[in-house]
Amino acid sequence: MANLNIDSVKDRTFDAIVIGSGMSGGWAAKEFTDKGLKTLVLERGRDVKHLKDYPTTNLYPWEFPHHGVLPDDVQKANPIVNRCYAFGEDAAHFFVKDAEHPYVQEKPFDWIRGYQTGGKSLLWARQTQRWSDFDFEGPARDGFAVDWPIRYADIAPWYSYVERFAGISGNRDGLDELPDGEFLPAFPLNAVETYFSNHVKKTYKNRHVISARCAHLSKPNQIHLDQGRGQCQERTLCQRGCPFGGYFSANSSTIPWALKSGHCTLRPHSVVESIIYDDKKGKATGVRVIDANTKEAIEYYAEVIFVNAAALNSNLILLNSTSSRFPNGLGNDSGTLGKYVAFHNYSAHINAEYDGAKEWTTDGRNPAGGGYIPRFRNVYKQETDFLRGYACGFSAYRWEQNSSDGIGQDLKNNLVKKDLSSWHVGSHMMGETIPKETNYVALDKSLKDPWGIPQLKISVDYDDNDEKMKKDYVEQMTEMFTSAGFTNIQASTDHRAPGLDIHEMGGVRMGNDPKTSMLDKWHRLHACKNVYVTDGASMTSTSCQNPSLTYMAFTARAVNHAIGEMKKRNV
Amino acid sequence: MNRRIAIRNMALILGSAAVLPSCLSDKGKAVVQLKHLKIDADQENLVNNLTETILPKTDTPGAMDLGINLFVFKMIDDCYDKEHRADFITGLSDFAAEAKKQLGKSFNDSTAKERVTFVSGIDKKSKDEKYKDNTKLIAFYKMVKDQTVFGYTTSQYFMTKQIVYELVPGRYNAMFPVKSKATA
Repeated sequence: MANLNIDSVKDRTFDAIVIGSGMSGGWAAKEFTDKGLKTLVLERGRDVKHLKDYPTTNLYPWEFPHHGVLPDDVQKANPIVNRCYAFGEDAAHFFVKDAEHPYVQEKPFDWIRGYQTGGKSLLWARQTQRWSDFDFEGPARDGFAVDWPIRYADIAPWYSYVERFAGISGNRDGLDELPDGEFLPAFPLNAVETYFSNHVKKTYKNRHVISARCAHLSKPNQIHLDQGRGQCQERTLCQRGCPFGGYFSANSSTIPWALKSGHCTLRPHSVVESIIYDDKKGKATGVRVIDANTKEAIEYYAEVIFVNAAALNSNLILLNSTSSRFPNGLGNDSGTLGKYVAFHNYSAHINAEYDGAKEWTTDGRNPAGGGYIPRFRNVYKQETDFLRGYACGFSAYRWEQNSSDGIGQDLKNNLVKKDLSSWHVGSHMMGETIPKETNYVALDKSLKDPWGIPQLKISVDYDDNDEKMKKDYVEQMTEMFTSAGFTNIQASTDHRAPGLDIHEMGGVRMGNDPKTSMLDKWHRLHACKNVYVTDGASMTSTSCQNPSLTYMAFTARAVNHAIGEMKKRNV
Repeated sequence: MNRRIAIRNMALILGSAAVLPSCLSDKGKAVVQLKHLKIDADQENLVNNLTETILPKTDTPGAMDLGINLFVFKMIDDCYDKEHRADFITGLSDFAAEAKKQLGKSFNDSTAKERVTFVSGIDKKSKDEKYKDNTKLIAFYKMVKDQTVFGYTTSQYFMTKQIVYELVPGRYNAMFPVKSKATA
């Protein structure tokens, strides 16, 4: 490797390296460059520029070759990613195809990935809820995993900090279990969602149906306009990339912000093979990158390294970063690296009808998706035969019905009928799963990926706690629906593999004790203090909130700490 | 209009669907270019005529005007699996044979009125649960009808002239009186 040239080494040396340009990496890039630090952002996929690289964003249905349907050969070639709800003709180009990055499923796991600038932040469902101390104190109270080394008070100001910039819509609901944030106006509940919300409030203590909080600019502030973003136009075509920047993505927000600073270098097509550890210095000195196109190896150096490759790929990078000091992966003195992986259980749904509120309908589309029911099980104390609990989505909808009966003029008439359906309601569960040592990822001993890096072996499964929780969700929601007067209640459970929730977490967990955890309370590796992991990999437990907002807050807080340490010359 | 020119025009109308004439000089071959389906000109004509029977030109455009027939071919060729494609071919032959039996002449040689009579009968049967899986003829018919309806209801014509599809609603009214909707 031609790394001997002094100038070349200088060119490849930065203050900070950020591995990954998605939800959390984008924040690291923004925070470092805001403070004037020379930052290299490594993205393993291609560059996707806001607006310019959203080829389908303004297409009408008839402008797609198959009017939105993916061809059979594409579906057949991608059994895994094809199970993702957003993998359609309008957004397939933002997903990793199954063959592009192979992995080993020791147990079935649908690993859904987006390799491009912005990562999955282009594709996320944009639901944003804060954690509370009921979540951070969960493992300690209920005796699983290890105690989180932080509490709500540590992260609350950082939630506020990222919310103001990202733009989060919501109501100040005043709930202990779901703290309020810095909100833009909420997208309101419709007639039946409001009816159900009132019914639940009357009928149950501590159960609430609120407007879903989401990362949409319902009413932008100056800070959002300064990013070049504008008001959400209720298209609900978000997975294509938004021409208005109406929802938060790294592409529309943090990455262009960082690039505008003049301190950021974004290098796409850069697969990080490993982090380089220097035995003498006792710290990491840089990263080894494989250029995705040329397959050439090249090294970059920095004082501090942020690992934001998305949960499982962050695990993969640390596992593959071996040295004489760390033969089992960087910072892995505890032997916990890759273990205690968890996810969210989305495998139950319930639908029903409501024969009321007939004088009301909706007009336009709701980007928030409807209502959200924060966790109500085992919040204040343990009260069921399973640990933890679940949040629920809830939405009500009716639509203009047409019919495709008949042929000829009859058919034409039937297709333009606009009879309003009755109201239908639907809910899905979002359950916390318990991190266990037996749910793990590891490097496969023989199989390599196209870049010569060991393939990740994934061994993650549900357990008895998940089954009990699923049953409870169906029972509780059926009872709530029944008492609300909903009819034709249909509960369904599926046998989806873990991963399809796209909320995989853990493997590089935080904790107070270096013997049982990987990261300290600042997200630094206990044993290698200039390497920070602030994406889903760092999660000690999963609770049941949608996690992205928490990763953003973690990242901003950790960068602030890293900069403080750099100033003190501690790294 | 010369058939070849007509088909060229339809391809132009359809725009994004790149089903272009493959073999304009060979009379027995289908002109629509398909990757998987193997059909001859008669069969191609039959499907064209069937889509036009399902969705005829009236005071508003029909399937052929809108290029829906080409869209149907594209969808069945690209978006259905091998088994469905095989059923399509078998069902197409069954459909042709049954039409000949009932009408006393081929579907393509029949008048529009005769075709309506025959297809109405098939359409009724296609909604009968008993027929759901047991005849390839019905399977074929349902594929053609489904895609005719899908292609039509997602066509530019339908989404701009028959309904108003909004790419950019710019609003969400959560509490909207049904009365206002009716007069909107």
